Amino acid sequence: MTTIIEVSNLTKNFGKLAAVDNVSFSIEENTICGLLGRNGAGKTTLMQLLTGQQFATSGDINVFGQSPVENASVLQNISFIKESQRYPEDFRAKHVFKSAPWFFANWDADFAERLIADFRLPLDRKIKKLSRGQLSSIGVIVGLASRAPLTFFDEPYLGLDAVARQIFYDRLLEDYAEHPRTIVLSTHLIDEVANLLEHVIVIDDGQIIIDETADELRGSATAVVGPSGAVDAFIGNREVLHRDGIGGLASVTIAGLTSTERADAAASGLELSPVSLQQLIIRRTNLTELGGNEKEIEARA
Amino acid sequence: MTTTTVHAPATPMRRILNIVRLHLANPWTTIILPWVILGIIFAGTLAVWALILSVASDTADARDGLQYSGSNFFIFVYMLVVAVQAISITFPFALGFGVTRRDFYLGSALTFVLLSAAYSVALTILSLIEEATNGWGIGAQMFTTFYFGETPAERLLVFFLAFLFFFFVGAAAASVWVRWKATGLVMFFIIIGLGLIGLVALIFFAQGWPAVGEFFATAGLVGSMLWSLVITAIAGVTGFFLMRRATPTA
Repeated sequence: MTTIIEVSNLTKNFGKLAAVDNVSFSIEENTICGLLGRNGAGKTTLMQLLTGQQFATSGDINVFGQSPVENASVLQNISFIKESQRYPEDFRAKHVFKSAPWFFANWDADFAERLIADFRLPLDRKIKKLSRGQLSSIGVIVGLASRAPLTFFDEPYLGLDAVARQIFYDRLLEDYAEHPRTIVLSTHLIDEVANLLEHVIVIDDGQIIIDETADELRGSATAVVGPSGAVDAFIGNREVLHRDGIGGLASVTIAGLTSTERADAAASGLELSPVSLQQLIIRRTNLTELGGNEKEIEARA
Repeated sequence: MTTTTVHAPATPMRRILNIVRLHLANPWTTIILPWVILGIIFAGTLAVWALILSVASDTADARDGLQYSGSNFFIFVYMLVVAVQAISITFPFALGFGVTRRDFYLGSALTFVLLSAAYSVALTILSLIEEATNGWGIGAQMFTTFYFGETPAERLLVFFLAFLFFFFVGAAAASVWVRWKATGLVMFFIIIGLGLIGLVALIFFAQGWPAVGEFFATAGLVGSMLWSLVITAIAGVTGFFLMRRATPTA
């Protein structure tokens, strides 16, 4: 595996606000990485830093082994699709697809045409007059058909309906299998993309709180379900991520279990169920937001 | 299965020419619409003039009035707006296509020079037709008005310098906007305004108006227009340095 993005001690301040706060991580070549986090967590700023669109306050960024800032040899291998993309005055979708091949050496015009048909995008209408979803589909098509070795999708599908989103996921996976490349995807719809992601980075308040492979992350928590007494006896002093209860029943999310522990749980008549990526991220994000008050959560539990 | 290849950089000239193509990808705003407007203004002006001539009792006096027309001044202001849009709106779009700020600005500047050249050649050709047809048959002077120069060569130069001036002043103002948004633009106009007032005051107190008049008289139309290159160059260079540190904010 080759590292394609390497970031160390990266900080970006806007006035007093640290949008990205002393962050270090790396992303491997030919993976699909989810960059997740709440609104205003710093996802877009981070992607703008990685693509040379913003200037770092301090720290190092290496993309393809070099700084991306004003570096044509790095930037021309990057496609950055963002939700709020503006287009030149009076442009129609056809102008976007006409000019894209001049900038993306791997551009596949046939693929673009298939996607245009899939998304039913009107090519000849002024972009200003397109619906929110149609506007998003322009970005999605450019991001896929450009086949840039490093592609960023920042909330690419605002306003796209469920069918169109599924088309996006399907085409992304198909094309990724045929033409492996590195894709960084930022989104709120975590469960929808959970199966696509191989690596997950969660940013909160400018800091990275999760940086794990999707498999590690999924194995990092389990929900234990059963009668409250049995559940409490089983979890003992373990850190509780979340607790739900109805009557005498409890469902408690705790850190991942070893196979022996799993067997023990089964012997105590407890049921173990996987926790969805979305639930997991919500719980871990809440934990950091409570500022290390896990004890308080446990006390409540 | 084919792994996507990482490409060696395209040559700097190729990258800059790609920006020119990007600006002209939709020819409607930069090429078609200005000629449509100019055509309508031209036809309208000629029609009014022909009407005046047909009803005027003092034809000589009426003909005198046909020598001045400011109707094609719009095209210069129009190009200022084209430059503003090219810099402010196309910039964030080009960045998404993996373009560097340097290539974007140089490509935009080349686009402005090429458009200036094309438009000044076209206007000069129209002025030649105007001369050949004796003012479109009625002695009208749309493109040969004295303030565009006396010979075709002078007119070509005056048109070219005027286009460059409006393109690059527009580009500089747009760069201020991209870099510092509305606050920056307001400050920019305040500074320019104060500078102009200061200059006028200075000339006034130094009783330099005769000298200023003499300067323009000696320089003549072409000479004065050549001095505009100083402002054009300052605007062009300022725009470059402003855009080198610009960021696309929503």
